[in-house]
Amino acid sequence: MSLYLKKRKKLLKKLCVGTSLFFFGSAGFFVFSIVFKNLFSRSQAHPLLFVFLMSVISIAAYKPLDIAFTQLFKNYLFKKKTFAHMTLMELAEELALVLDLQELSNLIVNTFGEVFHLKTAALLIPNRVRGDFEIASAYGWNISDCYRVRFSKDSLLIKLIHSTGGPILVRDRAIRTFSWQEANALAHDFDCLRASWIFPLFVKEELLGAVGLGAFSAHGLFDEADFQVFREFARSAAKSLRNALSVSELKTANGELQDIQSQLLQATKLTAIEQLATGLAHEIHNPLTIISGKAQVLLLQKDRNQIDKKVEEVLKTIVKQTKRAADITRKLLMFSQSSGLPKERLQLEQILEDTISLVSYQTSLEGIRISRAITRPIPPLYANVQEMREVFFNLLLNAVQSIGSQGKIHCEIRDRIKDQIVEVRISDTGRGIPPEHIDKLFNPFFTTRPEAVGLGLFVTKQIIHRYAGSIRVESRTGEGSLFTIQWPYLESSPMADQKAETLSLFPNA
Amino acid sequence: MKKLLIVDDEKEICEFLKAFFEERNFEVYTANSGVSAIKYIQELTPQLVLLDIHMPGMDGINALKWIKEKYPKVKVIMVTALETREKIEEAMRLGADNYITKPLSLEYLEKDVQEKIAQLT
Repeated sequence: MSLYLKKRKKLLKKLCVGTSLFFFGSAGFFVFSIVFKNLFSRSQAHPLLFVFLMSVISIAAYKPLDIAFTQLFKNYLFKKKTFAHMTLMELAEELALVLDLQELSNLIVNTFGEVFHLKTAALLIPNRVRGDFEIASAYGWNISDCYRVRFSKDSLLIKLIHSTGGPILVRDRAIRTFSWQEANALAHDFDCLRASWIFPLFVKEELLGAVGLGAFSAHGLFDEADFQVFREFARSAAKSLRNALSVSELKTANGELQDIQSQLLQATKLTAIEQLATGLAHEIHNPLTIISGKAQVLLLQKDRNQIDKKVEEVLKTIVKQTKRAADITRKLLMFSQSSGLPKERLQLEQILEDTISLVSYQTSLEGIRISRAITRPIPPLYANVQEMREVFFNLLLNAVQSIGSQGKIHCEIRDRIKDQIVEVRISDTGRGIPPEHIDKLFNPFFTTRPEAVGLGLFVTKQIIHRYAGSIRVESRTGEGSLFTIQWPYLESSPMADQKAETLSLFPNA
Repeated sequence: MKKLLIVDDEKEICEFLKAFFEERNFEVYTANSGVSAIKYIQELTPQLVLLDIHMPGMDGINALKWIKEKYPKVKVIMVTALETREKIEEAMRLGADNYITKPLSLEYLEKDVQEKIAQLT
């Protein structure tokens, strides 16, 4: 309470006491004068007698009146503290219904802070994982500061709370009982919590937390009556805190369980896809073998049977397309069993060209232009051809689907000699990826198209990781996306001889 | 004459392979299960067997085991719908001479068959 208010209160009290004294004096004199009249049959008493009487009454009645008025003021007229105490007790009851740890912590510190006009109020709770104490919520603090303050179980403050048990710790009083070194350490602990008073929250010997209170001017703010209320509050709040802590632990455990469950689900899904793909392969590859085989037999007999040129084309298409269909099921199994695929030295630009030609028919229909920028020579990569085609194919297809029609795809392969990295960048002018989808983009079975399986980018990422590479995506909704892949250089075999070899393999390169 | 046994539970596959190889002057027999394959091998002793891995009953792997035990000289090319690496590795370990995946490229298959038979003589 402010100094200003205190003075006014004192003045008012003095006035009341004075008026009452005058009233009592007058009444006393009135009674006395009647008695005097009857006893001595004299109409007038001596004025000095009046003064004497008033003095006697004043001296006798001052102390009881003063006490009575102080009590009266405290209980009825200036019952600010009482109001605060009542608020605290109400809060204590209310807390029993709050199960959310953060909400409970906020309620405690904010109520203390506001009701007592404190500078700071902070709630310490145990962190059972780390085994120390941290700030759950604080009034009058920067949020970032809260994370910095921690008290180990061996800190003097926590030890002191344990050893003293219930009572409220007052900074100055507590410090005085220690030697100067320990006093310093303890003062530091108090200052860390920005507190002049600390009261613990115990449930049956178990320390569940502590509330630290700091005032603008600490002197005489709280007295024994307040401490009494704090203790009562602590008893009740500690139980609520214990419940909230348990709920919070349960929530954490539940979250972990959910994570594991979703991982398990993912694994199950993958196994299911694997089984499905194997089953599919057997069921589909046989009919495909028959279709393709019969077409091949006809083709090989073409000279004898004199097959029409058009029919020959059709037969060739049948053979080619059955192979493509078979490749789909093979692709589906690729990510689960690809560690042993044959690897060879590859030129990425060649793979890119091959893949572009695969999608070029579709892009020409949709009015999509594909441009490329390749800074030659690109060091070769030691990898499986199919897998590398898969990577480019998925990314290009993704870009095509994102654009829909009319747009541009730009492919870039760069040799970042300084970082010993080969970098592939594929950008499109498509609709882009919403920020909330970016994180999930590479998850298996994530897709925004109802007809898709959602394996493309997942498989792509798996393959890239297999060759120690990385892939990241930048995107702006409505403007397009950029996928960047980086592969470290081949560590084995010297560059020079590789270059010579690739030159002979790809004379155009 | 080059004697060839084709083992596949899909009759149609046996059929076109038979047509294909007969045209190339092979003496071709077909079997639709592992058990009948064994019977034919005992009776006909072909030089080469095209053996499907996945068959009901006695599968290609078990048939291969038997063939390589009793007739180690007979060449065996495994035919598989989808290469599960463990299966293929097992087949190669058991002495299969090669493997080919479905759908088959007949050109490649013929080359391989001719090569394996040439090794015999």
